[in-house]
Amino acid sequence: MQFRLKQRSVLPGFNLALGYTLLYMSLIVLIPLSAAFIKTADLTWTEFWAVVTTPRVLASYRLTFGASLIAALINVSAGLVIAWVLVRYSFPGKRLVDAMVDLPFALPTAVAGIALTALYASNGWIGSVLALIGIKVAFTPLGVVVALVFISLPFVIRTVQPVLEDLEAEVEEAAACLGATRWQTFRWIIFPAVRPALLTGFTLAFARCIGEYGSVIFIAGNLPMVSEITPLLIVTKLEQYDYRGATAIAVVMLVISFLLLLLINLLQWWSRQRHAI
Amino acid sequence: MSIAIRALIKRFGHFTALAGINLDIQTGELVALLGPSGCGKTTLLRIIAGLENADSGAIQFDGQEAGHRHVRDRNVGFVFQHYALFQHMTVFENIAFGLRVRPRARRLGEIQIRAKVQELLSLIQLEWLAGRYPSQLSGGQRQRIALARALAVEPQVLLLDEPFGALDTKVRKELRRWLRRLHDELHMTSVFVTHDQEEALEVADRIVVMNHGQIEQIGSPQEVYDTPATPFVYQFLGHINLFKGRAHAGWVRLGGLRVPAPEYQNAKHTPAMAYVRPHDIDLLREPEDGDTTLAATVSRVSILGSLVRLELLQQSDGEIAEVEMTRERYATDPLQPGDAVFVKPRQLRIFLRDDSIDYPPVYWNGGGI
Repeated sequence: MQFRLKQRSVLPGFNLALGYTLLYMSLIVLIPLSAAFIKTADLTWTEFWAVVTTPRVLASYRLTFGASLIAALINVSAGLVIAWVLVRYSFPGKRLVDAMVDLPFALPTAVAGIALTALYASNGWIGSVLALIGIKVAFTPLGVVVALVFISLPFVIRTVQPVLEDLEAEVEEAAACLGATRWQTFRWIIFPAVRPALLTGFTLAFARCIGEYGSVIFIAGNLPMVSEITPLLIVTKLEQYDYRGATAIAVVMLVISFLLLLLINLLQWWSRQRHAI
Repeated sequence: MSIAIRALIKRFGHFTALAGINLDIQTGELVALLGPSGCGKTTLLRIIAGLENADSGAIQFDGQEAGHRHVRDRNVGFVFQHYALFQHMTVFENIAFGLRVRPRARRLGEIQIRAKVQELLSLIQLEWLAGRYPSQLSGGQRQRIALARALAVEPQVLLLDEPFGALDTKVRKELRRWLRRLHDELHMTSVFVTHDQEEALEVADRIVVMNHGQIEQIGSPQEVYDTPATPFVYQFLGHINLFKGRAHAGWVRLGGLRVPAPEYQNAKHTPAMAYVRPHDIDLLREPEDGDTTLAATVSRVSILGSLVRLELLQQSDGEIAEVEMTRERYATDPLQPGDAVFVKPRQLRIFLRDDSIDYPPVYWNGGGI
């Protein structure tokens, strides 16, 4: 059988569009990223391994990926509820709330970080209350999670919302006629329908959290081994003119992120295959 | 199960969807709710199902008040116009859904559920589709799956909302015959909503004709077709010809035609309308004595399979009238466009023109009865 790169199609412009896509992806994504790999190549494997596995760096990986995972998971459940409320109910000020969802997108992350730090510091509005019951948020890993939850809030809401809007009310009525309770209808009818969108929202939120820098550095306190995120370590190394060390860590982050996103995409593909929607 | 509906009223804002409905449906009956869109038929069906709440009035199932019961406790099977199948589930799981969500105490074992679903799949003759997803099926197949899903929970009433409305003509005809056979097998009390008079006449035991949130007539297909109770029913069911005239002292004059109307003994030059079915008309070459015919000219002749339809222009007012006859009859006197004829209705029905009644448009929809 002959291998063919291109399927014949009635849609015109395949060559042009594909060429444009590849050029654009190269300029914007591939070339800058491969620069990181090339810079890293200055290091020998032993040097590279030594740089990326120091205890301080390992601790920062754990914090970055762990906190991002927790934040994305929190936003999956909170985002589903908010999207549900925004789609299913009408209440005064609904449009305002709907517009507010996008604020974390628009706000400079540093502003978000400063505001959150002021709130959650032990003398802040929320921090002082939490301090009474012995919970410290600012300058701890918990603070990192709070900042990440804030900046990645819109992703899940904005991906789930259109799917919920498309879900016919009749399907839920059909389930009710068949004797299903509200919970059963949610568990077996609504949730499976929004699951792909939830997964997409999770992926986007997770990716955003891994790369987040601006808001976190204010609230995290950046204690080495405790509340220091990987992006901060990279910046620190850059400031010390250790370009090779910085890019080495960046390369590790890139590879891990790429593998994780690939894994999630596979999961998405697999669930779509299984349900043939 | 029998259904009794008493003085049911439902409003949506300023729009009155149901204006006092009284209706009795007997056990094992197949009833059609027939009417134009917006007449309230779907709202009535949804209130019976419990998907909508009435503003006032009562619904009884077997003499028991059911209006307050939640939809999942009413034990009704509901079939939606657009199927409302669960897209992420296989055909098998769609049908099994109602069995799987039962409270644990009443839930069947997995083996019994499988047996039940297989039984339903063979009832709708789609056993080989058990593993498919709804998106892989045709419209007719989807609607049969939706029906099997509704039947799985052994409902006492089956409610169908325009079940064949989204299907093409051929599949629709097949499916409604099939539905009729299914009903004859199961004898389940069934109510279906339709705006298609042909569907209602063919499938239903009784037809409830609705308009503007009210019931115009309840009766067997023959009753509503042969003896319509109101002008609306006359116009909505089948084709009609309308002749305008005046009623006076027990007689009605329609152009050159004079017919006795003893029920309007007291009428004094009241505007009246006569309704005549296209197949209740004789065409003569010569006028008869005694004002029994209307003069007209043939303007068009169409051969429609076994029928011939002639379009006539009335001489008096230039209005169009339609006449249908069999081909054999037409062959005895093949009229051609331009021929002068005399129209003699064999059967007509006269209603006084009452301006308080909102006359619906005449349906020349070409559907053919």
